[in-house]
Amino acid sequence: MIRPRHGLMLLAPIALALGGFFLLPVATMLPTSFQEYTPGAGLTPGVWTFENYTRIVTDGYYREVIWRTLGLGFAVTFACLLLGYPLAYLIARGPERWRTPLILLVIFPMMLNLVVRSFGWIALLANRGLINNLLIDLGLIAAPLKLMFNLTGLMIGLTHIYLPFMVLMLVAAIGNVPRDVESAAATLGSTRLHVFVSVTLPLSAPGILAGSILVFILTISALVTPRMLGGPTYKVMATLIYDEYMQTLDWPSGSALSFSLTFLAIGVIWFSSSVIKRWAGIA
Amino acid sequence: MSAAGENSVGFGVTTAALAIIVFLQIPVVVVVLAAFSTTSYLTIPPQGLTLAWFGKVLSDPNYLSAIRMSFFLALGSTAISLGIGAAAAYALFRKTLPGSEAITSLLMAPLIFPAVVIGVALLQFYSMTGLRGSLPGLLMAHVVITAPYVVRSVLASLAGVNLATEEAARVLGASGIEAFRLITLPLIRPGLVAGALFAFITSLDNVPVTIFLISANQTTLPVLIFTSVEMGVDPSVAAISTLLIIVTGFVLLLAERRVGLHRFI
Repeated sequence: MIRPRHGLMLLAPIALALGGFFLLPVATMLPTSFQEYTPGAGLTPGVWTFENYTRIVTDGYYREVIWRTLGLGFAVTFACLLLGYPLAYLIARGPERWRTPLILLVIFPMMLNLVVRSFGWIALLANRGLINNLLIDLGLIAAPLKLMFNLTGLMIGLTHIYLPFMVLMLVAAIGNVPRDVESAAATLGSTRLHVFVSVTLPLSAPGILAGSILVFILTISALVTPRMLGGPTYKVMATLIYDEYMQTLDWPSGSALSFSLTFLAIGVIWFSSSVIKRWAGIA
Repeated sequence: MSAAGENSVGFGVTTAALAIIVFLQIPVVVVVLAAFSTTSYLTIPPQGLTLAWFGKVLSDPNYLSAIRMSFFLALGSTAISLGIGAAAAYALFRKTLPGSEAITSLLMAPLIFPAVVIGVALLQFYSMTGLRGSLPGLLMAHVVITAPYVVRSVLASLAGVNLATEEAARVLGASGIEAFRLITLPLIRPGLVAGALFAFITSLDNVPVTIFLISANQTTLPVLIFTSVEMGVDPSVAAISTLLIIVTGFVLLLAERRVGLHRFI
């Protein structure tokens, strides 16, 4: 057997890397979030304040961005679930020889550069993009539809980007539902729909929950797609953090927002995992 | 009773599922079309075909230096992640230390942490320590976001390894290092390959951390595309994107053939 001393030696490099370049930087950001910032003058040394956090709750603009981010998280999660389930069902329960090609077609866009995918949606959704050009050429609309820099663009882009994660989670979950139970229900006279609603769907609930948590967290933390499809004006929490740091240089506000976003994400995981545990306890 | 493998999925669900598969490929197809189009805005059918944008991109020194930078970071961070990640996964698997589960979730933390928060935290940290704009700083930032993938894949691979085979080799006279190299290493090779691949693609793909840390004269390919798009749609962006699509597709097919990639996701 290898000894604890060897275990320490094997773990030390990654512990140093993550400690020095992840935990320590995040920890040093904490005091910044309690500092006072004056536009033009910068940080006021020696002054500590809760202002950066209270403003997130009291300021109407910040509140709007937070509600928008959360609303987007729920909407994208629901859309991914709705679109992901039939596809996952076909992969898990469809013809065997379709499995690998279908999974590869799901993984391919997932592996593809985020910026490239968002750029593809810009080419489609822009005022002079493919969809608007096509609709105008066909004479269906006179002026371009506004498909970008608003909720529509963000919904389409983010759903496209996080759908593969949901599908892969659901494939695993549906694959874990024993076929015998489904056949048993069918033998006992259930219709196909009834088998699905009363057997497959409830038994795949853990996967639905795990996929939903993942997609929700990824959506509320997303920076690239909201920036590219939302533009500089339609902001979410991540793009607001980006602007606070890179444009207004208000690092205290930016770090307070960063911690709020992190607590939201970790809070969702903590809350949902305790719900799952309670369920498991009942079952 | 239906036999296993027989199609038990209804026509409606199959149609819907295939439509969703098409939806997933749409932006990819559009980018490729745009790369060959003579017009800067896309129409269907395309107005004319040209290879000019590829030539423009591949002779642009900004793009070339961004490509070099991206590959340097991806290769460097993959190599470092593979070393430190595999070592950590092995130690965790052998449960040499108490609290292995807690350590594992700590090592996975960068995966669930909002990337933009890691980005701004490092920006501030590097500004304080003078690492801002430095290559080692950027490389370590990429190690932080890629190493967890290696740990995860190698742990997944180790889960299928029977420790008794390694012990048997020891009993038959192999040294600890020999037993690891001859028995365990070949068994976890798929996990190493999959982990390296995820690390490589994650690094090559990254914008939310990298964008805060690059200096004015050193940028990566996705960050360059990101900033170019903010200034307006340009077919040369489509051309460089198409090259990335081809590389990604090639790597994916190769990985699927070699290790059955989809088992590690």
